Amino acid sequence: MQCNELEQILEQESDGALPPAAASHLKDCAGCAALWEDFQAIRQAGGELGAQEPEPPERVWAALRMQLESEGLVRDSAPASSAPAAAGWLSGWFGRAPRLVLACSCLAVLLVAVFLSDYNRGWTVAEFPSGANSAVATASLTPSGLDSTLDGNIKRVMASLPAGDVALTDSFEHNLGIVDDLIEGCKKSVREQPNNPMAREYLYGAYQQKAVLLATAMDRSTLEDR
Amino acid sequence: MNTGIHSASRFAVAGATMAVLLLSGSADAQTHRVEKHFAVQGNPVVTVQNAAGHIQVKAWDKHEVMIVGNSATNSVEVDTEQVGNRIEVVTRVTAEHPSPADIQTDYEVSVPTESELQIRTDSGGVTVDSVHGDMSFDTVAADLALQDVAGYVMIKSIAGSLVCTRCAGRLDATSISGNFQLIQPVMNDVRVQTSSGNILFDGDFQSRGIYILKNYSGTIEVRFSSNDSFDVNAASLYGNVINQAPVVPDRHQMPAPRSNMAKSLFGSLNEGHAKVELSSFSGTIKILKRE
Repeated sequence: MQCNELEQILEQESDGALPPAAASHLKDCAGCAALWEDFQAIRQAGGELGAQEPEPPERVWAALRMQLESEGLVRDSAPASSAPAAAGWLSGWFGRAPRLVLACSCLAVLLVAVFLSDYNRGWTVAEFPSGANSAVATASLTPSGLDSTLDGNIKRVMASLPAGDVALTDSFEHNLGIVDDLIEGCKKSVREQPNNPMAREYLYGAYQQKAVLLATAMDRSTLEDR
Repeated sequence: MNTGIHSASRFAVAGATMAVLLLSGSADAQTHRVEKHFAVQGNPVVTVQNAAGHIQVKAWDKHEVMIVGNSATNSVEVDTEQVGNRIEVVTRVTAEHPSPADIQTDYEVSVPTESELQIRTDSGGVTVDSVHGDMSFDTVAADLALQDVAGYVMIKSIAGSLVCTRCAGRLDATSISGNFQLIQPVMNDVRVQTSSGNILFDGDFQSRGIYILKNYSGTIEVRFSSNDSFDVNAASLYGNVINQAPVVPDRHQMPAPRSNMAKSLFGSLNEGHAKVELSSFSGTIKILKRE
């Protein structure tokens, strides 16, 4: 089995089960094994998010899909009203077989961003779901492992930028540093002012910028050529 | 005598060698020039995709698109294609591992005034002069200089900056570390966001115009004249708002937004015909009277 064949299988398999040939390929190919681990980590992160949060309003789902489609990150034209229900909307959505695992990174960034903005906008500490206090709410700004998974994928994308184009790589790395600093600053701000919608909106914007940067880097990388 | 002959021979050989080296050097330095002309009708769509180099676009009054590409080496090829009114220009890298200097390609593009532009480039620069069609730019580090353009301008950049002089129409621009300068704009819909860059808006606010300027750090500076009419909502979460505008409480009786810890300003100048929203995470917002 070739790497591109495995990628196709990853796109198609929604329940995490792999055919024997694919599983065998994973044992021999470190790159694909890493890809599969990333995919699983994101799926798990989606599941955690879905388990922690109640079903979002329909309008959030519609807005999310529109945003992702406008960014070109989702090409699946499933109707916006087909939000998965009981299993947790994020886990269900991740299970809808995104085209590329790396695209999941962008999606995940945006999903986190959406959670931080539209979904939670206007909630006060007292209104936070499941009786969570502000400390708990802000401590779970991102699901466990998601940030590290994203960073791992970003490193892979950076490594796939055209060889020798130092200026391009430097520019991406420099701006990734800026965005990461922003995210940290904004997280701190949300912890300090958990009821401030402005602080939460800035955090959302910072994640959105990271998604844009990752998408642009993917666009310039040689990943598609492999 | 023999010594003299040998010396003369050595000089001759050295001279010939120098000549060959100079000739070969000049051949390497020679640019590869491509010039293409495309007849068009109406408003063409011109797409340019380049990796590095300068792209200069200017309007002319011919029903023709002219592309002139200059590349430093033969590591790249300039591909052009016309499908109806759509002209596509792509710089293709042909060498296996070219250096950044090898892929440098400069373009001069002449288009009918009402052309639509779609430009993607990584580094270098883009200048557009007097084109009145919609245009979109996708850059990594390339800076943009737009002058006397009109239409819907969309910019997505990572580190590129923009200087827009006498631009009309609508602007939607984002960058992470780039600066944005709008000089004498005649725009009624401006949405600009940068993370660490500065934003300058120095021009009139159009009646019923919307101006949304946002950054995380850096400075947002807006210059107004006493005749301007706008509602302003400016807030910096951890920075400052410096205001010289004699704003009064909002004319439209809108409730002031919750400011919490942010430094903020909310009010109207004159009748409040335009809407100005300035927001920064930790930067300084300046609303200054134009000299």
